[in-house]
Amino acid sequence: MNQEPWAVPSDPASLSSSTSASTPPPRRRRWPTVVLVVLLLLTTVGAITATVVAVDQRDVAAQWEERALALEAQRDALDEQRAEVSDRLEATRDALVTSERDVGELEDRVRSLAEEKARAEDTATTVQVERDVFIELSELISDATGALDSCVTQLLDLQSASVEAFNRANAGQDVDIDALNARAGEVTRFCNQARTAAATAEAAADRLLRS
Amino acid sequence: MRSRLHLGGLLLAAVGLASCVEPPAAPLDTPAMVDTEEVELPEVAAASVERRAQRVTVRVRSLGCEQFGLGSGFVLADGVVVTNRHVIEQPREVTVNTWDGRSFAAEVTGVATDTDLALLQLEDAGDLPVAELRTAPVQRGEEVFAVGYPGGGPAQVSPGRVLGMVDGTVLGEPAEVIRVEVEIALGSSGGPLVDRDGLVVGVVFAVEVDAGVGLAVPVETLLERLESGELVAPGAC
Repeated sequence: MNQEPWAVPSDPASLSSSTSASTPPPRRRRWPTVVLVVLLLLTTVGAITATVVAVDQRDVAAQWEERALALEAQRDALDEQRAEVSDRLEATRDALVTSERDVGELEDRVRSLAEEKARAEDTATTVQVERDVFIELSELISDATGALDSCVTQLLDLQSASVEAFNRANAGQDVDIDALNARAGEVTRFCNQARTAAATAEAAADRLLRS
Repeated sequence: MRSRLHLGGLLLAAVGLASCVEPPAAPLDTPAMVDTEEVELPEVAAASVERRAQRVTVRVRSLGCEQFGLGSGFVLADGVVVTNRHVIEQPREVTVNTWDGRSFAAEVTGVATDTDLALLQLEDAGDLPVAELRTAPVQRGEEVFAVGYPGGGPAQVSPGRVLGMVDGTVLGEPAEVIRVEVEIALGSSGGPLVDRDGLVVGVVFAVEVDAGVGLAVPVETLLERLESGELVAPGAC
């Protein structure tokens, strides 16, 4: 029987006979070889896997590097943009402050002119009021003066009539005393009215001087 | 046994290598430019509020039967101007001057009998800016400013704080009035008391001479008069 030295006999009988016949060769175990093969296989698989992973990771690393470069460029762009926005903001703020100051100064000027105009209107209103008062006073004085002038005229007429009546009485002629007295009364009333008008004008002038 | 450990380590290393590093995601988009319109400038905003308050405040000139009066007021919608009753008593001729030099003839449409308020109606008010009224009451310590034409001069802004509310009956007012630490001078009467948002909270009408503080009719009283229409014709000569 061509038996491998490490083969396990399949027949128990032959095993016992062989044992009894001669010293069997040392039994050689197969499992280390199997383990070795399995290890080799696994190592191979692992190596292949590691290689695949390594290649994949190299690509990933390349992508990350590319990404890092892109982010760096983006960061630089953002820095530039930020600086630009800051400059613009600063310029806008300066312009705004300048504009505010300019607008403020212009508005102050407008207010100042508006105040002058309003003051001028105040003066115009006051002048108009004073003019109205002067016109009224002038009319009062004119009326009083006219009345007094008329009073004086009537008094002179009455004086003439009285002298004429006196002369006629001395000459023995008839004199209408009642008519003369009536005329005197009339002149007196008229002159009293003239004096009242003069007093009114005087009071108005006094009020104007005091206001 | 050692071989088994080597085998396990190798497998774990392979799995680890395969899973520890992921490819980068899609690149980020570049952020948009900063929207500079949203940038806030408080000092500019405050100046803008004061400027607007000055624009709605007007100078009131009243030629009365016996007196010539100067005061202040502020413009509401439809050419209505709010001022004090004592500014336009027995009016013969009322004129309103704006901050930019325009002049408008005005008619006194009504005066309140129980509070120092009066309403004028402008002729051809045009595009005058109008004041906005605040419905919420003022708070003690709140920052406000009064706008007016003291001495008939140019519009002046006087900042200050609300000191509180005081009984207005001794001053002939129907309700409490605002006591405010603001410089008030002759000619400021009728001008608006404005909060930091530019809303009118009161109408300046008097000064506590001893304390040197101003008094203002609350805008609530004005709103009541505007809504109820409890106003009468002004006195005649």
